[in-house]
Amino acid sequence: MSAENQNGISRKQGSGAMSGTDSAVAVKGGEIDWRNPAYYINRELSWLQFNERVLGEARRRDNKLFERLKFLSITSSNLDEFFMVRVASLKDMENAGYRKTDIAGMTASAQLAAVLSATHKFVDLQYSTYGRMLVPALKQEANLETVQYEELTEEEETFVRRYFEEEVYPVLTPTAVDSSRPFPLVRNKTLNIAALLTRKTDAGPSILRQKKGHGKGAEAADLDVAVVQVPSGLPRFTVLPAQADGPVRIIFLEEIIRHNMPQLFLNYDVVSACPFRVMRNADLSIDEDEAEDLLKEIEKQLKRRQWGEAIRLEVESGIDERLLSLLKQELRVQESEVFFIDGPLDLTFLMKLYGLDGFDAFREHRYARPQAVPEIPEGADVFACIRKGDIFMHHPYETFTPVVNFVAQAAVDPDVLAIKQTLYRVSGNSPIIAALARAAENGKQVMVLVELKARFDEEHNIGWAKMLEKAGCHVIYGLVGLKTHSKITLVVRREEDGIRRYVHLATGNYNDSTAKLYTDVGLFTCREAYGEDATAVFNMLSGYSEPRHWNRLTLAPLWLKDRFLYLIGREAEHARAGEAAHIMAKMNSLCDPDIIEALYKASAAGVRIDLVIRGICCLRVGIPGISENIHVRSIVGYFLEHSRIFYFENGGSPEVYAASADWMPRNLDRRVEIMFPLEDPAIAAKAVHILKTELADTEQACEMNADGVYDRVDRRGKEIVNSQLTFCNEAVAAAAVADPRDTRVFIPETAPES
Amino acid sequence: MAVQLFGAIDVGSYEIGLTISECSKKNGIREIDHVSHRINLGTDTFRTGKISYEHVGELKALLSEYRKIMDSYGVKEYRAYGTSAIREMVNSTVVLDGIELLTGIHIDVLSNSEQRFLDYKSIAARGEGFTRFIERPTAIVDIGGSSIQISLFDKDRLIETQNLKLGVLRLYDQIHSIDAGARRLDYVIGELVNSQLKVFQNLYLGEQRIRNIIVVDDYISPILQHRTLTGRDPGYIDCATFRSVMERVRTMNAQEVAKRLGMADDNVPLLYVSGKMLECIVDAFGSEMIWAPGVTLCDGMVYEFAEKKGYKLPDHDFEADILSIAHNTAERYHGIPERQHELEEIAVKIFDATKKYHGLGERERLLLRIAAILHDCGKYISMVNVGKCSYDIIMATEIIGLSHIEREIIANVVKFNHETFIYYRAQQSATDLDRQSYLTIAKLTAILRLANGLDRSHEQKFHDIRVEVRDGQLFIRVPGEVDLTMEKGLFVHRADFFEEVYGIRPVIRQTKRK
Repeated sequence: MSAENQNGISRKQGSGAMSGTDSAVAVKGGEIDWRNPAYYINRELSWLQFNERVLGEARRRDNKLFERLKFLSITSSNLDEFFMVRVASLKDMENAGYRKTDIAGMTASAQLAAVLSATHKFVDLQYSTYGRMLVPALKQEANLETVQYEELTEEEETFVRRYFEEEVYPVLTPTAVDSSRPFPLVRNKTLNIAALLTRKTDAGPSILRQKKGHGKGAEAADLDVAVVQVPSGLPRFTVLPAQADGPVRIIFLEEIIRHNMPQLFLNYDVVSACPFRVMRNADLSIDEDEAEDLLKEIEKQLKRRQWGEAIRLEVESGIDERLLSLLKQELRVQESEVFFIDGPLDLTFLMKLYGLDGFDAFREHRYARPQAVPEIPEGADVFACIRKGDIFMHHPYETFTPVVNFVAQAAVDPDVLAIKQTLYRVSGNSPIIAALARAAENGKQVMVLVELKARFDEEHNIGWAKMLEKAGCHVIYGLVGLKTHSKITLVVRREEDGIRRYVHLATGNYNDSTAKLYTDVGLFTCREAYGEDATAVFNMLSGYSEPRHWNRLTLAPLWLKDRFLYLIGREAEHARAGEAAHIMAKMNSLCDPDIIEALYKASAAGVRIDLVIRGICCLRVGIPGISENIHVRSIVGYFLEHSRIFYFENGGSPEVYAASADWMPRNLDRRVEIMFPLEDPAIAAKAVHILKTELADTEQACEMNADGVYDRVDRRGKEIVNSQLTFCNEAVAAAAVADPRDTRVFIPETAPES
Repeated sequence: MAVQLFGAIDVGSYEIGLTISECSKKNGIREIDHVSHRINLGTDTFRTGKISYEHVGELKALLSEYRKIMDSYGVKEYRAYGTSAIREMVNSTVVLDGIELLTGIHIDVLSNSEQRFLDYKSIAARGEGFTRFIERPTAIVDIGGSSIQISLFDKDRLIETQNLKLGVLRLYDQIHSIDAGARRLDYVIGELVNSQLKVFQNLYLGEQRIRNIIVVDDYISPILQHRTLTGRDPGYIDCATFRSVMERVRTMNAQEVAKRLGMADDNVPLLYVSGKMLECIVDAFGSEMIWAPGVTLCDGMVYEFAEKKGYKLPDHDFEADILSIAHNTAERYHGIPERQHELEEIAVKIFDATKKYHGLGERERLLLRIAAILHDCGKYISMVNVGKCSYDIIMATEIIGLSHIEREIIANVVKFNHETFIYYRAQQSATDLDRQSYLTIAKLTAILRLANGLDRSHEQKFHDIRVEVRDGQLFIRVPGEVDLTMEKGLFVHRADFFEEVYGIRPVIRQTKRK
């Protein structure tokens, strides 16, 4: 499969590989043309490659069976989001006649075509994984099977019938379609069943008035149409009553409803019924200059999201042609946007299946629970611990609890004057939110920046922003046109020798739930330079002027990109001068053209560049004279790689940073992000250890080859390293050493002072 | 706790700033937080004499926020000062009252000289750096929204300070109304600035070169803090490099400048004006080095607070600066130094001896000394109307470090030294003086008159006097055998006024030398 971009460069889609002729260095005006599109990979196709790597984990037989279900579920939810945002955006561009090419020289139309084509293949692979690998394995290994209605035993059928009558039927709302009742507005991402009906000859007056001209097939056969939404409030599948020593059997909700369709349309015969699902354009576009009250505006947009333009229609394979034609017409989808699914629609149900009781043997247990942070023993005064020195945390290997305790302790500490925090995504029942509310009730000055524009969390965020306001917190919503993605907390405390500021900076969200799943790093410090900068950050976010200067922090969108370009450029200069030069960087995505160009130049100057990039990477490795010194690998493992760490050798005086930002234009140009240096040598060493261990990973890592394709690491001659497992084990060991209960050195307590 | 927090609010012409500082005996001053927000009050006032309702509303909202920020640190003590935009408002009383009612923040209006003095204090607070820098002839160029203040130093002592109506905002508004291209605007700014600088140069500099410039402003200073830009320690730049930086700035568009220099886009036009102005000054003065200590009025306010509370501060004798300017002013009007010195000495001796009776403090003592130094400056204009002319000269002269009221007290003391005292109720002209200030005038006048009477012959006969109060009389003991016939004869009606004010009768006693 190949597509041609505007420059006439032919490339393999999906892999994004360069053709042989492209491998020569492109020269423009006597100089290397660093922006030659042939040197870049389209970001959407690169993202699809990432999802393929996740799918790869679902296909790995050496992964535990239920973990494979989880990976497959993730690919499904990932793809949904990708469609709602990225594909929707491409469609918008295409509709607007936008002709500008992307970094890889592709127009929006070319990208859309390539993405849809690649997605079709991907979905086929997803369902082949599900149907041919996982379903048989579940049956054989876990004694778990999904059944059709016809396969129910008598006892099971009785159970299911009762379930339908008592719990499902009362919440169903069948919608008939006729001239006075248009095709219902099918909500985004919901599962529905469309049915073709024919009126029974002995039936009374029709519930359907004059037929609407839906689909030639339906009209010709004198058929009626109806739609039923599968209730999202009910479990997607039901576990059937177990038989002794028998398998665990489940049945899908849509299967139950489909079988009972005749009960919904008593005077009709159901000719055909088929589940379908629609994905809609969910890209929020808010004119903040116009929107006086951002909160209300977002609420309004959220309602609209339900009814955005349809961009994907999933139907069960074997759907009645007449029904399909009708759906395509009503939902206005193109042929290429219809996905025929060979299995249950919407595989995100697999995450629920993963949670089923009784299958513990099929889940991963090698990864230890989050361990205590050695510098902050359980029950310790967090502030006192921070006063002893900067504390670096690596989650989820180390527990997120100290961060929660930091805010909780501040809320009740009589010496704490103020708490300031940025919040992007928080957990459902967040202890941090509760602590902030408690702090405000205790008379502390609490300022919380709530990012209402955090995609897909908007509704959630509005809810607790209102709650915080009610509790007396000063809630601010950030800066017009910029999402606040930085993760920073500032606690101002009155102490004996004056005001002291405690700062927490992190790469991950203040979300105690995801902190158990995402790898992130965080830093506690009470150093004055960081405190001053943290204060300045919150002043800026409150709309006050920029500070006179920054001590340590670098912020996007004003300074961060320039800083990265400077740091990369400095390595190039070191390399040219024959000094030590090396860049190691770890992030989620790399697609900023300026950064990539700087990396190419650094590589060309002789800088070794090792990148650990989980997701999108628009940079190509191995281009002669351009990127021969660049190595890209991606780690997809038990935990979601999320931390951003940057190492610059700097001629033998290394500098190490952590940041909330990826090397993406959206992070560097349109968001408020923070990069912070890890100055304490011991802490810097810990961060470097993370990078080096991930670069040595042989188990969960894939490496990009010169064709832009990711291959598993060649293990030959290498020590077997699973970086995530290594970090777990190290955290366990460190916590054991730090915990006095595990020591054989007993220290007698001293008598209390009288 | 030995730590005290202080909030300093600067209601400036273009920006409203708040600095929270911590003062302690152990660590001196430590800045905790600084926020600023742009509200262009200056343009309103300079154009119409009033601040628009919209801006007043914005100011109220902002100050309420500042109140919250101060509360968040537990700040109990604060000062809020309004500068030129508030000072030049015709309805400031009404507006400030409204602001106080709504926000609880009381804003005091600073006179120009008070404002500049605070800036000066904040520079001096830099200690060693400041002391070293002013060893060579130096000028502090304090660029404000409505005017600039140029203060000259010679041999580490402040000798002259003048205010020029060349504020960056005022100038920006002026050139805005002129239809000219960017390059022409540069030329226009140069013309506007140089015309005033030439006069300043003729009057106060002559052929003297001012090697060093200390600049205080909101636009040049922040960029000079970039070490990479100046190639020197933050804040320092040699004039040649400064010129080339400004030349580069002029070749870039506003966005580029903002990005390169790390400043807000809105500030770029004002950077052009401020930079051009400084270039003109550097050229006119023949300067070699610029130092931008990056201080603000808020820093000066904190310094003033810490000074009052007795916290550890860099040692600089500001009183000596004020006196130095007074001496320099007296010299300009051809006063006789020996006579000033004699009069000052006698007056101070009387003041010190009568502390229990007048209840005045060190500040009033300083005012008396200045009044003695300037006591006859009006003679330069007229030998007949000395009182009136002296009053006018003093009121028109910028004495950095004195408030408007203090200047008026000195002017009145000097005037009544020569003219009949007018009682508070008998005043006919409008004045800002309250009863208390007027009482101070009376008390200081009584002393100056007495001292002046003693030195009527200008022969310094009272050089070694001793002054003491005993048995309800003020004894002025003069050693030696000098002839005091004239002084004793003319002493009577001056003694009457002194007795009226203090209730003690001054008496001259001659004592024989041992």
